[in-house]
Amino acid sequence: MTENPQNHSSSNTEQAGISRRSFLRTGSVAGAGLVLGAPSILSASAKNAPSDELRVGFIGCGKQQEVLFNSMKNIPGIHYAAVCDIMKERVGGAFGRIRSAFDYTPNHYSDAEDMLAKEKDLDAVFVATPDFWHAPHTVMCLEAGINVYCEKMMSNTIEGARSMVYAAEASGKLCQIGHQRRSNPRYRYTLDQLIHGNQICGDIININGQWNRGIGASQDIKVKASIIPDQEILTKYGFKNPHQFLNWRWYRDLSGGPISDLGAHQIDIFNWYLGRTPKSVMASGGNNHFKNREHFDNVMCVFEYDTPWGGTRAFYQVLTTTSAGGGFYEAFMGTEGTVQISEINANTKIYRESDGPSWNSLVSKGYLKRSSAPAAAPSDDGGAVAAYASAAPEAYELPGTLNKPPHQPHIENFFNAIRGQEKLTCDARHAFESEAPIYWVNPAADNHETIMLTEEHLSV
Amino acid sequence: MKQQKESDVSQADSGLSLAFITLRLWLAARALVTGLEKFSGTKVSDAAVAIDGEANSYGLTAAESEKVYGLDQYQGVPESLYAKFLAEPLIPEFALSIYDKVLGPALLILGATLLLGVFTRLSLFLMGLLYTSLTLGLILLKQDAGVAWLGIHVLMVAVALMNVKHNRLALIKKW
Repeated sequence: MTENPQNHSSSNTEQAGISRRSFLRTGSVAGAGLVLGAPSILSASAKNAPSDELRVGFIGCGKQQEVLFNSMKNIPGIHYAAVCDIMKERVGGAFGRIRSAFDYTPNHYSDAEDMLAKEKDLDAVFVATPDFWHAPHTVMCLEAGINVYCEKMMSNTIEGARSMVYAAEASGKLCQIGHQRRSNPRYRYTLDQLIHGNQICGDIININGQWNRGIGASQDIKVKASIIPDQEILTKYGFKNPHQFLNWRWYRDLSGGPISDLGAHQIDIFNWYLGRTPKSVMASGGNNHFKNREHFDNVMCVFEYDTPWGGTRAFYQVLTTTSAGGGFYEAFMGTEGTVQISEINANTKIYRESDGPSWNSLVSKGYLKRSSAPAAAPSDDGGAVAAYASAAPEAYELPGTLNKPPHQPHIENFFNAIRGQEKLTCDARHAFESEAPIYWVNPAADNHETIMLTEEHLSV
Repeated sequence: MKQQKESDVSQADSGLSLAFITLRLWLAARALVTGLEKFSGTKVSDAAVAIDGEANSYGLTAAESEKVYGLDQYQGVPESLYAKFLAEPLIPEFALSIYDKVLGPALLILGATLLLGVFTRLSLFLMGLLYTSLTLGLILLKQDAGVAWLGIHVLMVAVALMNVKHNRLALIKKW
């Protein structure tokens, strides 16, 4: 890491050498609605393609780095050259993971600038630092001529996210944002073949998404005091105290809170699947259990979209006090069917409305499988309620699954793009267009108001 | 009367012999299967799902997976524990690496020697040391349930050593 990015967020934009106004001129015509639904526009040019083995570094070696490394260690042709974190134990953990998987050790650093100054031949850096460091680290790497894979949320501020788009486009280097569902075969197949190709949902009038997490999984992170960096180091890197360092997700200056932490993945799918951004957002949130946290512990919000069939409403909730209710998923609820998709198979379900078109031919061709789950039991209320209820929809399943860790296809896409073999599935500009509405959820909840989202709110 | 006493002693000895064989077999099975499992892994299907008569181009694969065994599947110290041990200053990295390589084969060898009754006393002693070494790691990680669980293993080994004089059905009785 380098010194506190909160002092640098505006200068990063200036360093990119491109003003926001010029990007509004050139970028807004393509606009969020047009490009969201399109495939990525960026891939490495052949002249930039490095030799076959890619040299990779990590900035930030916490839990997410472990997830990323475990998702990429089976991808051939990668040399893990450097790891960096301000906490010695985390650097040691990343060092050990590489050492135990391969017959070599990476160079290790406690400062990102130092790492970039000494590692001159990196092809790619993975940024998995706290949200408020994403933009400074990403911009720094891009300006050093290194391709970047940065975890979502792009930044804790919309200006920070904009600076990442500017830097990526000014440098000509690749910047993949970690919305890994965009590369997931299950998600891509569902959008291409089921929702677009065979239009199994009919008109998608409503969307319902959630991430319900219980209190047990939402507690503060605690470690032995002896392994936390000294306060002098924490201050240098923007943390007021050890609690902020370990639990930055709960502080407003350092992250966007649960709605960006967990919600960003899923609201991205709303926008990607609909191929457009919302026109408004209303929200409600509160500190109903974790009363000392700066961010809301529970948030509910509604996005409204203009769609060709007369409009779509998307509800999203992120709970950190209850895990019941189905875990996490995104459900696209149409007039003829509903696709409830999740990163895990168990939460993925597809339903045909009882009065919708038959899906028998889709099943016989292999597009769908009939669900092996038992059908809903008939009502035993003597018909008192059933008279008002719809017939139970038939349940179906996706025909196949993903036999890799969920992040692996997204990382493979990034490496293949560096080699000039594919286009990024979630470059910085597309990620920004999808993430921009999320930045307005907390303000809508703070002020108990509906925010009409304009180009000013959403464009780069 | 004397004959009755001799008969009782003989029955008691055979009971102790059977008890020891039972204990020896249990400890052997525990070590053998644990060692064998360190060479196991899960292989998920690579078969692309066919859609409309052709293999899909998205990377969707059949949901089946199967358990497989092989040298390439070997993992001595479980991955999740390995990283935690590395962060422990009292565990040198080179020692952990050696331990990781030795643990599986050691369990298999000691399990086999106990099963066959080869150097039973020495095998039991080495098995006790092995379980003690595993306990040390879990103490450092403060995994108290695991420590207690391994403690039961060590107690069983100790009981076996105390009764090793009742060892029967052994290929090599010395040591």
